[in-house]
Amino acid sequence: MADDSEWVLESIAGYLGSPEWMIPVTDFMENKCSVFDDEDENKLTYTEIHQQYKELVEKLLENYMQEVGINEQQFLEACSSPFAKSKTLQTVFQPVLATDDFQIFRSLMVQKNMELQLQALRVIKERNGALPECLTDGADMMSELEQQEMRILQEVLKRSKEEYDEEVARRLQFEEEIGCTSSGSSADKNGFDSEASASAQSTSSIDNMSSKKTEKQDQLRSAENGEPSSAKTNTVSSDKRSLGKDSGERKTLPAVTAPVKGSEPPATLKEKSGRQTVESYLAEAQREAGISRPFNELSATEQEQLQERARYLRQQRDKLQALKKEQRPKQPPAEEPTAAPAPAPTPTTQEISVEEKKKLQKRKHLAEKLKEEVIKK
Amino acid sequence: MGEVQKGLFSVIEKLKGTTEQELRIVLLGLDNAGKTTLLKQLASEDVNTITPTQGFNIKSVTCHGMKLNVWDIGGQRKIRPFWKKYLENTDLLIYVIDSADKKRFEETGLELSELIDEENLKGVPVLIFANKQDLATASPASEIAEGLNLHTYRDREWQIQACSAVSGEGVQDGMNWISNNIVNKKK
Repeated sequence: MADDSEWVLESIAGYLGSPEWMIPVTDFMENKCSVFDDEDENKLTYTEIHQQYKELVEKLLENYMQEVGINEQQFLEACSSPFAKSKTLQTVFQPVLATDDFQIFRSLMVQKNMELQLQALRVIKERNGALPECLTDGADMMSELEQQEMRILQEVLKRSKEEYDEEVARRLQFEEEIGCTSSGSSADKNGFDSEASASAQSTSSIDNMSSKKTEKQDQLRSAENGEPSSAKTNTVSSDKRSLGKDSGERKTLPAVTAPVKGSEPPATLKEKSGRQTVESYLAEAQREAGISRPFNELSATEQEQLQERARYLRQQRDKLQALKKEQRPKQPPAEEPTAAPAPAPTPTTQEISVEEKKKLQKRKHLAEKLKEEVIKK
Repeated sequence: MGEVQKGLFSVIEKLKGTTEQELRIVLLGLDNAGKTTLLKQLASEDVNTITPTQGFNIKSVTCHGMKLNVWDIGGQRKIRPFWKKYLENTDLLIYVIDSADKKRFEETGLELSELIDEENLKGVPVLIFANKQDLATASPASEIAEGLNLHTYRDREWQIQACSAVSGEGVQDGMNWISNNIVNKKK
């Protein structure tokens, strides 16, 4: 009899490790586990799912017993034998025990849910390149809280990057304002090129100029990546250093819009460049709307419309600024006279880089602090 | 199927291999009666951060060498239809009443009498906690017992116990009744 029960028990344990049992049970758990969190309070749906689980397990065991030809009596004796009390078997029987014990069932489901979440994390990592060190190291131990903090950290970095880009654009706009003469040039559709040629007092034709420029742009585009002192490269590398991310992580950061766009300047964007003052925008908007009266004599709606138009124009201008900024360092020395009436461009750039450096330093500190906090937990 | 189920459950009982006896207790009552507070008081947990229960809570308490698995199910009207799903294999019903909520005495009496008629609770002992005795407007337990017609219950053991789940007063007396009348009889 003792031999008999030993055999029965081994057979049952074998069944609980077989695909016939594992597949339906695992399927069930994976499909239903998403509502199971580790809150203290249980949801009413847990009970329903537990009931369904009971029915599944009972059906499976019943079928199995019929198939193998074990009757309940044998099953019972096998389970009450001393072998059944061993630690390993207790673990194997855990999913069976879960039918009768809601608490066991619940913990199995919560565990399954967490496993799936971690798997999802891994998939994300594979898609977006490697995660930062602090995410990859012992990812299985990561609590939800830590994951959340990581998300916050990335958001902070993203924002600070955006802010930085905005700031650069603003600076360039400011620079541009200084560089330009104050008279309005809204009607000047040939913008950049004619202006450049005029100030340079160049004798060469406009066409000639632009073709030269394109050449230089191409050259500089290829040189850009290697230029370590450019603001863009600085930002990225500081992020990289402070986070210990590898190159894959950079992909998840937002693209540096202005420089990227600038490296491939569409010819149409060159058309409108020039004065920055609000008045000029309003004037331009006014002109476009065909309104000749002075701004303050217009009705409220008209004023509003104009202001909106001015806002739009300003946005367009800002985009152009970013574009121009990219072009600037690419200007060949021959074109330097362009900036001649304005303050010399070299000191301005240096000033920027000093301030930017400070800023970057600050940002780096913040990132380091955040990282430390995340890792310490 | 029924036969097989019974068989499987007894098998599972054996699998658990616990020599310790267990009691399944269901804790019911209207919303805001103090069920969760009572549960936390029984488990010696903090009773100051309790919010209305949307689902259910389970705590296991050891009482005189017996493991009591206490199920506290939310009492809001929309949850009450779910109560009967939790009554199977119940060894004891604890029913909690807000003794200061006179307006709803009738409602709570109706809910209790419906439970008493449940097939799954046939013959199951009832312990009624006349809770919130710390409030000045609370009715005494004897008055509530009368209102509920407890003296007409002939098919089961019952007890009414005045208590304050917040302070813990009277709670232990109720537990003593459980151990004297149910735990000892089960052993």
